[in-house]
Amino acid sequence: MAETLCLSDSDRSSSSDQSVPSRSNNRSLRIAEKERKKNEAEDSFVLALRYFSEGSSPCVRVLKCLIPASVVPQQAVVRAVVWLNVSKIPISTQVLFIKWVLTVFDLIDAKDQLRAIYGFIFSFITEENLCPYICHLLYLLTRKENVHLYRVRKLLELQSKLGRQPFLMHLLSLYKVFCPELVTLSIPSRIRSGFKNYISPWKSALVAVQKSNGQQVSSSISAAFTIKEKSISRKRKHCHLDLPALSSVLNKEPQSEQTSRRKMVPLVHLSSFAQMLKDMHRIELPAQMGSLLGSSLALQYLDCVQEESALLRLNFWLGCALHEEFLFCRQTSEEALQFLNNLLSAQHFLQEGFSSSDAFLYKFLNVWDGSLLRPQILGLLSNIPVIPSTQIGRLLFEPLTQLFFTSSMFFKCGLMECLNNMLLKWLTWHSVYALEDDLDISLNSHTSINITLSGFKDSVMELVHFVGRLASLGLQLEGCNTLLLSFILDFYETVCDTFLKFGLPLVVMPPPGVFYPALLATDPVSVDRLAYIMHRYKLNLTSAKSQEKQTEPQQAFHISRHTFRQFNHYLVFMVNCLWNCRMFHANTDMHVREELLHKSNVPQYWTRFDFIHHPAFTGYAVDFHQKCWPGKKDVDVNSIKQSKPWSWYLEYLFNQGFDGLKDFVHSSISRQVTAGDKLQDSQQR
Amino acid sequence: MDPLSESGMRTPHNGAVVQRRSKTRSYRQSYRSCLGTASRLGVTPALTARRLNASRRAAKPQNLADKVNPEHLALLVKAEWQLSYVTPLYQFRHTQLRSYSRQLAAFIVAEKQQGLAVEVSELHNSYRVSLSVVQGLTESEDDAETVLIQIHSKPMFARQDEPQRSVWSGWLTCVHGSPEYLRSLPKDFTCLPLFGSRGPEYLSRVVKSWFQKTFDCCFGSLEINHTSLQWFAALWTDCHSQSHIQHLRMLWTIPAAPPLQITYTVDPQDAWDLWNSVRKEATAAVTEDAASIDLEEVTGFLQALKSHFYRHFRLDLSAGTLQQVSTALGSAKSSGRIKMSNSRHVIATLTLLTECALLRMPI
Repeated sequence: MAETLCLSDSDRSSSSDQSVPSRSNNRSLRIAEKERKKNEAEDSFVLALRYFSEGSSPCVRVLKCLIPASVVPQQAVVRAVVWLNVSKIPISTQVLFIKWVLTVFDLIDAKDQLRAIYGFIFSFITEENLCPYICHLLYLLTRKENVHLYRVRKLLELQSKLGRQPFLMHLLSLYKVFCPELVTLSIPSRIRSGFKNYISPWKSALVAVQKSNGQQVSSSISAAFTIKEKSISRKRKHCHLDLPALSSVLNKEPQSEQTSRRKMVPLVHLSSFAQMLKDMHRIELPAQMGSLLGSSLALQYLDCVQEESALLRLNFWLGCALHEEFLFCRQTSEEALQFLNNLLSAQHFLQEGFSSSDAFLYKFLNVWDGSLLRPQILGLLSNIPVIPSTQIGRLLFEPLTQLFFTSSMFFKCGLMECLNNMLLKWLTWHSVYALEDDLDISLNSHTSINITLSGFKDSVMELVHFVGRLASLGLQLEGCNTLLLSFILDFYETVCDTFLKFGLPLVVMPPPGVFYPALLATDPVSVDRLAYIMHRYKLNLTSAKSQEKQTEPQQAFHISRHTFRQFNHYLVFMVNCLWNCRMFHANTDMHVREELLHKSNVPQYWTRFDFIHHPAFTGYAVDFHQKCWPGKKDVDVNSIKQSKPWSWYLEYLFNQGFDGLKDFVHSSISRQVTAGDKLQDSQQR
Repeated sequence: MDPLSESGMRTPHNGAVVQRRSKTRSYRQSYRSCLGTASRLGVTPALTARRLNASRRAAKPQNLADKVNPEHLALLVKAEWQLSYVTPLYQFRHTQLRSYSRQLAAFIVAEKQQGLAVEVSELHNSYRVSLSVVQGLTESEDDAETVLIQIHSKPMFARQDEPQRSVWSGWLTCVHGSPEYLRSLPKDFTCLPLFGSRGPEYLSRVVKSWFQKTFDCCFGSLEINHTSLQWFAALWTDCHSQSHIQHLRMLWTIPAAPPLQITYTVDPQDAWDLWNSVRKEATAAVTEDAASIDLEEVTGFLQALKSHFYRHFRLDLSAGTLQQVSTALGSAKSSGRIKMSNSRHVIATLTLLTECALLRMPI
């Protein structure tokens, strides 16, 4: 055993010289890195493989789980091969081990020592069960100097015994390639399929482990470019999902005089952001633009690149991958997930979607079942740029409506979140660019498809109304589910602030189907959030109103009377309901016949939704009552109504964290003036 | 190896590049960009979906032998081709074909060697690749010239003196490509959207991968859909007066258990008569020039064939899918295989297929 392990240094260095002819620095760096990893890995591998000497059943289980994260130290493999000779190990385990070696073969850090024991490995060939796998291993290790007449004889002898087995033929054909004079046997020019000795679950586990490892490396800042190891499986089914490797252009165009004087730096050669900044003016794009998606440094460069062709190339690649893998055949594999996640993080990084992914989504939404890769698809969807109001219905609303009403509650929530993000991005985009230029953009019309400020407003309005419709019906369908309501209120938190936060002179109120369920919700959080939203609406509207007075009439953005009326209407109802105990007051749009209310036998039905009796707050009222009058046995929450306890009670509620209510009460209810007067005031606007 | 001079080849450079650059981030341009005519990160999202033409000119038989090298033509019409679509090639130059040939040959050898743990010297000279231009196979001036790729090789264990023979061939073409689409591409791109190949799958793979690496393009398989197959049936039948189609044969699969395959062969004269009966202005169409065929007529023709079948066998073919159409002029399969048997109708066939390929473009 010890002898086989003892290799002369010269032997080792000579063979490693052969395998590394003349590569760049990258290669040596990589080797150094591997060396480090190897030392870490070696102990554990040797430990694991030591089980071989025992050969019991745990050995098999350990082997099955032996998935290398980076490289397999050659030492470990050599030792294990040597242990094979100890006859204690059952033959099935031996086979399993050789299969394991074949599976991880490409990951073995060096092959020199394995080649040195070629003869030793060859001796296993007589073992019938091992033979196919040993042949495969030998096939991978064979060099010209390994081909000897006695080995050829041995193989031929085996062939006469076992018949023309493909594994023998393969090895013999390789021998023939090296030494045609030794193998006189005629070999058919095309031997059917190669060796198939690795186990596919292993292989896929291996790929997955390696892939996730690669991910970790590339996400770290220091190693912006990871040199891609040649993937083990040569023939991939989902070829479109692999990011191409970063490589420089082969066919250099004979550039014009100017550019040829500048020495170009291929993007591959850059390793840091500082370096990129230094060479910014002479960076050469890679041969395949798709490779940029894999590295954050390249994305940084892409963000500055304004070259149309480059972006077009990237979009062709991306569009093709998306179409081929997701539109023409459905994908659910780990690779597909990884691909979309990569794409999402790239888009997130650039804060912009790719037009090819938009074009893909418009088609994909029509065939999507709403569950396939849902988070990823919704993520991509939220990056869609503004669509003109004339197209938005066909491209977005029609497919989404269908999906919304035929999918689960969780899809509904997911879609609400997605549409909220979409709106946020549109508005953010508007606020950024509106600040840069002046607002007078409607004059610009040199292309027919140009969007104007009013066009943009139309699109936003369409989106908000669309979500309003979905939300009203969704709440009905799902019985006012609290979770769904929460996502809907998220959306309206964005909508209510369009003017103040994003400078877009547009205010759209929520439909009754959203307002009333939120107001009458059984959980205090929803009511609190609605109060906050109403408070923000008020600020936005007052601010818009005052600005409208200042600006020139023709330029003025006009917020329709209807919006003010609707707001006032909601406000009156809300104050009447929570504060004034006049819930079913006339001229609200909740018309319930008097007789019906009497029939319901609810005592004092008009007070049922005030701060004390509202189902969301009764618990607080009772709690407050106990704290206020600890001795009292019978709880009469109506006693809170008195002036003093009432203000204490409000204070108590605000201390519970209901800041929305606090803002709402402070801004909309003045306790000196009656609420009604105040509202008269706002209605006059 | 190709005797053709390379001077006359052209890669169409169209001056009318659509203005969709956004150099600076101004509000104005961003608004536009956001809309899709241009975005910083991409161009032209398909806000309006492209569709297959609903009407096309009747296939005028063309004597291509005058325009196209007969050797090339013979190669095109002899075989059945597996089709793919290709996104536009970046910085492809028709003048560099010789250098491309060398690179591709080297690439094939390199790929071959990856399978072996050793260097095999014999491999080095075992592949000869030639890329050449098939001149004359264009219809409009936006079309780029067709490129033919041939790979010659010797079997691995062949004798020294054995001659190399053609093992794989393929072509890239664009016939009557949509001018709007072609003109919208920047001049660095050459659009040859239709790719046909014949030969071992691994060579197709290697060739595609070389094109992908060199011209930053993508390949995808091109199936011939139901509508296109119907078009082929009609277009070929329409040619019967000029060149005898022998038969109109259609292969249908019916989703029954066990699956049912139906071969439906129609007598050429009957097909011709039926076709003429569904043609609007069948009499006026004799004037040749104005002859354009509408999708309506095509579906009408197929509907008539189906109802005829139903009368005889009580089986509605509408329930099944059309898998294959063949006549003496050629055959088309839904799996994306095409055979053009008559050189006079090559252009018409390639026009339809180019259209199919352009429809598959992601943007």
